[in-house]
Amino acid sequence: MKEDTNLILAGLRIVSRHKGYIFWLWLLNLSLAEFGTAAVRNRLHTVLDHSLLADRLLQGFDRGVYLEMVARPEWGSSPGSAVPAMYFTILFFIVTLFCMPGVLDAYTSEGRPSREDFFRCCGRNLWRFVRVLVFYGIVAGLIGGALFSGHVALVHASEKSTYELLPFYTNLATLGVIFLVLTVIRVWFDLAQVDVVVRDQRAVRKSVIAAFGYTQQNLIPLLAAYGIICLLALAVLAGGIWVWHSFVPSSNVLGAFVVTQVMLVLWLGMRFWQRATAAAFYMRQATVDAPTQATADPTPAPEVTLPVVPPLDGDVKLLV
Amino acid sequence: MSLCKTLTLLLVTTLAPLVAVAQIAEAEAANPAVVAPLIPDTTVAINSSAPLSQRVVAYDIDANYDAVKHTLDGTELLTYHNLTGQPLDRFPFHLYLNAFQPKATWVREAKAMGSRDTSYEEWEEKDRGSDEIKSFEVVGMGDLTSKLEFIQPDDGNKDDKTVVRVIVPKAVAPGDYVQFKIKFHDQLPETQARSGWNRDFVLGGQWFPKVGVWWHGAWNCHQYHATTEFFADFGVYDVSLTLPQNEVVGASGVRVKEAKNFDGTQTLTYHGDDIHDFAWTASPRYRVAEDTFQGAMGTVQLRLMMQPAHWNQEQRHARILKESLDQFERWYGPYPYKTLTLVDPEPDSAAFGMEYPTFITGGTSWWMPALIHEPELVVEHEFGHQYWYGMVATNEFEDAWMDEGINSYTEVKVMDSIFGPDTSIRNLFGATYGEREDQRLFYIGAADLDPMARNAWQYANSHSYEGVTYGKTACVLLTLEKIVGEDTMRNALHTYFMRYRFTHPTKEDVLKTIEEISGRDLRWYFNQAVYGTQVFDYEVMQISSDPVNWYEKDLKEKKGETLYESRVLLHRKGDFTFPVEVEIRFDNGERVREQWDGQDRWVKFNYQKKAKIESAEIDPDHTIYLDRDNFNNSRTMEPNKAPARKLANYWSFVVQSLSQFLAWWLV
Repeated sequence: MKEDTNLILAGLRIVSRHKGYIFWLWLLNLSLAEFGTAAVRNRLHTVLDHSLLADRLLQGFDRGVYLEMVARPEWGSSPGSAVPAMYFTILFFIVTLFCMPGVLDAYTSEGRPSREDFFRCCGRNLWRFVRVLVFYGIVAGLIGGALFSGHVALVHASEKSTYELLPFYTNLATLGVIFLVLTVIRVWFDLAQVDVVVRDQRAVRKSVIAAFGYTQQNLIPLLAAYGIICLLALAVLAGGIWVWHSFVPSSNVLGAFVVTQVMLVLWLGMRFWQRATAAAFYMRQATVDAPTQATADPTPAPEVTLPVVPPLDGDVKLLV
Repeated sequence: MSLCKTLTLLLVTTLAPLVAVAQIAEAEAANPAVVAPLIPDTTVAINSSAPLSQRVVAYDIDANYDAVKHTLDGTELLTYHNLTGQPLDRFPFHLYLNAFQPKATWVREAKAMGSRDTSYEEWEEKDRGSDEIKSFEVVGMGDLTSKLEFIQPDDGNKDDKTVVRVIVPKAVAPGDYVQFKIKFHDQLPETQARSGWNRDFVLGGQWFPKVGVWWHGAWNCHQYHATTEFFADFGVYDVSLTLPQNEVVGASGVRVKEAKNFDGTQTLTYHGDDIHDFAWTASPRYRVAEDTFQGAMGTVQLRLMMQPAHWNQEQRHARILKESLDQFERWYGPYPYKTLTLVDPEPDSAAFGMEYPTFITGGTSWWMPALIHEPELVVEHEFGHQYWYGMVATNEFEDAWMDEGINSYTEVKVMDSIFGPDTSIRNLFGATYGEREDQRLFYIGAADLDPMARNAWQYANSHSYEGVTYGKTACVLLTLEKIVGEDTMRNALHTYFMRYRFTHPTKEDVLKTIEEISGRDLRWYFNQAVYGTQVFDYEVMQISSDPVNWYEKDLKEKKGETLYESRVLLHRKGDFTFPVEVEIRFDNGERVREQWDGQDRWVKFNYQKKAKIESAEIDPDHTIYLDRDNFNNSRTMEPNKAPARKLANYWSFVVQSLSQFLAWWLV
């Protein structure tokens, strides 16, 4: 357990050394969301700015007034609001995919890569990351699809029971299992991405296979690390809602904006923390495996040298 | 007296009664109504020493429920008192359960227009319901089973078997009685339209052949439609139900007898007075709580039949039931029955939220937080039906708004009085929702499709039926408070209830009562709101303030010194005309209220003041609920961007969260 904690702390040190990436991605997300919500924003201003009824949405939140607003013919259709937001959501996903090699390069390097190095790494690895994503889509799609089908079947069966809470518990249990399995897959492909970046691996299938081995051999500590960070993300959600509800008056628009954005930054940070944890794990593993691999692998050595292992503090143990 | 004379006298006195009996028997055969039994004037189930209604029918039913097959086999002895003032030679009967068949009108309409409970994506055999008459005898006229014919008075759908008619060989004279002996077999569907089974739960609603109502000189016996409910005469019900001993049973009326049978079944007998329907429920898993309410006419036994997982909400249900009883008794009139059964039906069944005489179903979930009052809303609503459907007993086929709509209005009043006007449905994490807004939302979704005064099955669709019947009626009556006053409205409904309970009033009865109590001619309003489809929409179209000396080149505006020419333009966007009030606020704190009769398309108010207009608002006291757009009822000179920014922030937060969630799992 101590080792797991150390892994998490190692990840935390990495992510705090490179906080800037979180900030920039948050800023990007905020900017894209501004574009994505522009249509809704305009409609809101058109309907609310000159109406006294709008006060019932400012002082508290009158659900009836809100529903009346969206029921007006002038409000338009739901897709009119949702589709632009969806486009910008996809755009954020693509940009994240593009930036992630640079981030992982930084997480596995000593010091901070220059901007040129960052984007060079991003560019070099973009197509590889797309292929990793395809592998991930196949694996997660098949396993997730099967699990969700089982989930639906089990919940459906439980609904026939006269015990009213059985469907709820079935939902809870099956979704918990699905979450754990998908988290394992996520760990696997996070490690594969690190492998691609660190080894400058063109044949991403090799990275996927190697990462599978790492994940299989160290499943418990990796899953525990990811799980603990997920629990912290949930705590951020609960804490954020509590602060929002308890300390931010309903009419304080700026206060609500700050609280929500802090929550989003922290959530983003949690995901980067997971990645940093995976990077820390990988580097330790690579350090341990490097001599063996050098003799065992008949293929020519990669063009780049093996990564520099980030310095670990004295109290951090290797996970082997 | 000679022996011969004595013997003759003896013979005559002995034979005379025999002859008389024979003559009566012959007369009976000729006219069976002569000696038919009277409908009993029992008061077992009511807190009254005399009957409360003119009892037209008496149902005596014995039924066996097969909990495995979900079938009922019953015999029904129906006594009908001909109070129509004319001979009757034909009698229509409702067979409501036949609605749940693929070609029946109910299913056709539900598939085409939607229904509250069922979408009919595909037909499943468990959806099928039926009410089959095995034999039909008219006492004194013999077996008329072969004379039964299905009729379709509303739509001519020959596949609809929800109304059956018999023409009797000899007409029943005015004032006479006739008895029908009916054997029937029911197949209950998996719950549909608040009737049927679900898992091991069953709700027996509309489960036996029911005679139509002679109303305004004709039989009123409509087919069962997806948007209609029911209409029946008052009378006495004696019902014996035989079902497995493990079943916990609740029903309309008072339980008068119970017996355990050797075959593992139990027979429970119920009696109801002055009711027009009988429903029952059974499940092995009910947990039952008993309570009492001291009503104006006597004690009411409350029976709450809860799902095991909802037992912790028993007090919530008891509380709202008693508070509803209390408010209705104080505002509208006494509850005269000795019992009231509240059923918490099987979760996810189509049995929630239904009313039958002295018997209602609620609807909740195991997780329901106390600050969401939806279970209370359902209970209050269904209880309210005890007055408008149960006792006033309007024709729900033709005047649905007189039950559902008036009930929605009283629901607003009662829920507001208990939980507060803006929080009567929900008050959770700062998000509030009130009953008035709920009814308004119902209404504005279908404001102009149908008038309230329309047969329930003739609405454009179920959405319009619900929006107009429930929501619009509530809004019409809430807006009427603005014209006649809240106390007058309450008094009018009290008078209406007391005057028309246990009768079957028409729409004009309630409208005339409101006019009578308010002392005002309200035809102009009723013609638009009740009989019309006019759209109510007034708006503040424009406000402006300009300096009177605007043309001066070096004009410097000074607050409190510069004279302004201000204008307010009001616009009637809809075709509903209504007198409105507008409040104009100036930046020196002054408020001016103007009246407009609302007849013309627009009106303009001009002012010259040393102050600029800040805002103008139509209906500043917020008493008009019929206006379909409340956002354009006011206009401010300066924009207040904070509300839009707040909501945009919420929306942006959702979009950002989704973006991050997607990236979290995929990248």
